[in-house]
Amino acid sequence: MLFKDQLYFVRENMKKNKMRIFMTVLATAMGTAFLIVLASVAFGLHDTLIKDVLEQETVNQVQIYGKDDPNSQGITDEDIDYFQSLEHVRAVRKQSYLRQSPRVSLNGYETSPHTVAVDMGALETGGTPLEDGRYATSSDEVVVGYHFYEQLLKEDTDPEDMYDENGERIDDTLYQGAVIGETIDLTVSRLINETDTEEKTYQVTIVGVTAEPANEWQQDQTLYTTFDFYQSVSEYTGTPGGELYFQEEPMDLTFYYDEVTIQSNNLENIQTLTKTINDEGYYGYSVASELKQINMLFTIAKAGLIFIGAIAVIIASIGIFNTMTMAVTERAPDIGIMKAIGASPKTIKQIFLLESSIIGIMGATIGTLVSYLISFLVNIGLPMILEAVFEEQLPDGFQFSSIPWTLVIIAYTICLLVTLISGSRPAKKATKIDVLSALRREL
Amino acid sequence: MIEVKQLSHQFELGKKDKKTVIPVLQDVSFSVTKGEIVTLVGRSGSGKSTLLHLIGGFLPRQSGAITINGTDVSNFTEAQFAEFRLGTIGFIFQNFQLIQSMTAYQNVELPLILQGVSETARKIQALETLEKVGLKGFEHHYPSELSGGQQQRVSVARALVLNPLIILADEPTGSLDSETEEDLLHLIKELNDSLDITFLIITHDDEVAKIGHRSLMMHDGALIDQEVK
Ligand SMILES: Nc1ncnc2c1ncn2[C@@H]1O[C@H](COP(=O)(O)OP(=O)(O)OP(=O)(O)O)[C@@H](O)[C@H]1O
Ligand SMILES: [Mg+2]
Repeated sequence: MLFKDQLYFVRENMKKNKMRIFMTVLATAMGTAFLIVLASVAFGLHDTLIKDVLEQETVNQVQIYGKDDPNSQGITDEDIDYFQSLEHVRAVRKQSYLRQSPRVSLNGYETSPHTVAVDMGALETGGTPLEDGRYATSSDEVVVGYHFYEQLLKEDTDPEDMYDENGERIDDTLYQGAVIGETIDLTVSRLINETDTEEKTYQVTIVGVTAEPANEWQQDQTLYTTFDFYQSVSEYTGTPGGELYFQEEPMDLTFYYDEVTIQSNNLENIQTLTKTINDEGYYGYSVASELKQINMLFTIAKAGLIFIGAIAVIIASIGIFNTMTMAVTERAPDIGIMKAIGASPKTIKQIFLLESSIIGIMGATIGTLVSYLISFLVNIGLPMILEAVFEEQLPDGFQFSSIPWTLVIIAYTICLLVTLISGSRPAKKATKIDVLSALRREL
Repeated sequence: MIEVKQLSHQFELGKKDKKTVIPVLQDVSFSVTKGEIVTLVGRSGSGKSTLLHLIGGFLPRQSGAITINGTDVSNFTEAQFAEFRLGTIGFIFQNFQLIQSMTAYQNVELPLILQGVSETARKIQALETLEKVGLKGFEHHYPSELSGGQQQRVSVARALVLNPLIILADEPTGSLDSETEEDLLHLIKELNDSLDITFLIITHDDEVAKIGHRSLMMHDGALIDQEVK
């Protein structure tokens, strides 16, 4: 029997009981839609989270925290050379924090900024762009953060007067003058004995301002200086990084990097790179390895939701079982006649399995279309409701529900499998129909 | 063409503990040669239908052997028998056994569909066969829209459409009046003459018995007489 003819048979049979077929398809569609929509939440939130992680500029970085070596105090230039020799490395960013906050004075305004010595060359290649000006080229030049000016206070103002009653900064108290090209007094102190301090003032020029940080909540008030400056402060205080600490004995002033970040030239290589570095005995961390855990967590969540959704499909399959059993019983005389003529049991079975698969496919197709609609509505509607009720803005591109083609394939497979299983018993029953009993209309 | 050797059959009734065994056929042996019309007569309940059902493969054989067209079908499985039957044996039943939801044309087309014949070839063969049995113009009538004689002609056409070697008929005229019966007998004779189809016909009717070359008489599950005309 040709497949085309089997299909024709099935179509004719289905036409005979449209209402029953419709209800069965409806139940299957509902089961499939439930499965897809349920699982789509895990897919949607996962996508949102992954997108969020990938958008972080730190995603293609490996941060080095130290070295698994008892003789090593920290990362030195030698280690940096090693990192730079590795494949897939675009830039190695390194910095050291000054262990005191020097006093800055600019045209009558003052502040004590967090001061970091950085590799100006690596800043440039490593993705810290400037808003204005240029990178520092010598130890008497500095770069300041985008929000640096906000912390400048006019000498002798009471910090209380800076804010109005709502806690907002009063505009008049902000530093209004130029920043780039200005020379500032940078005063560092040292302990000359247990209690007394002494000061030294450097005159440095601000040559650049960093670009605004990507996220609104990030503040960059840092003062960026060079390693030479860092070392000269160390030498002045006699302690590493200018720490305010008194000791008679001269201290070891070997220079170590506090923070080293290796940037990879592309995201795919980040995990190999992290592994290479960790195998070499460094403590490296990348967000990418966190992605792995996020992925694992969501894979479990997806599997769980698909499993729960599959139960709905299984419940719907009871309907298919029922419909097919009734169809077989109703058509028993016709099946008897067909068998008497010479239809093989295999042919009879194929026709009924085909009928239940068609119900399954129709259900899965309608269910998928409905799921896309529901998913679309949820992604539009839910943020609106949440924003209305909680008065909170959801981040851009946030999606609750996402239906990738893999989920559709999974749902189809589950649906087809379940319909085939539930249709197989009735189909088997059809092949077992006794010709003579059927012809006598006993069934 | 048909060779039956020492065929016995019994039905078992009732549950395991209270089983009653009804012997229906005892050591039936006979043969039918190609192109013969053989009638099978006998009292009601003598086992005629059971014999025909065994030859047609509708009942599982219990003992004895059946050979059809040189093929030993004794140990065929249900599926093997179905395939064999499709191209070799046509059936005609007393109550026609047409599929009610299909037109005359569709009923005749059914064996061709099961055989896997293409749609165009099907159309030619089915229409030709319907014409042969005198039903031209009734192709699109449903069984309920046809007379008994016409319905039996549809079932003859269905039995005929795959050019079988043998047609088995169980009281084919049982539901027809004498005039329609005569038409059908005429048709059978004609098919036997022109196509050399072998017929094995169960009947109660003397008129039918007349067209046979030979008549077999059954009594209590045994063949008692082989009358040659
Ligand atoms: N499925 C069955 N189960 C039990 N007994 C059966 C079954 N089929 C037939 N019989 C018995 O077998 C015997 C022969 O039946 P069969 O139908 O072969 O007779 P028949 O010669 O065709 O009669 P008729 O001329 O009335 O059609 C009968 O006694 C009948 O009761
Ligand atoms: Mg009978």
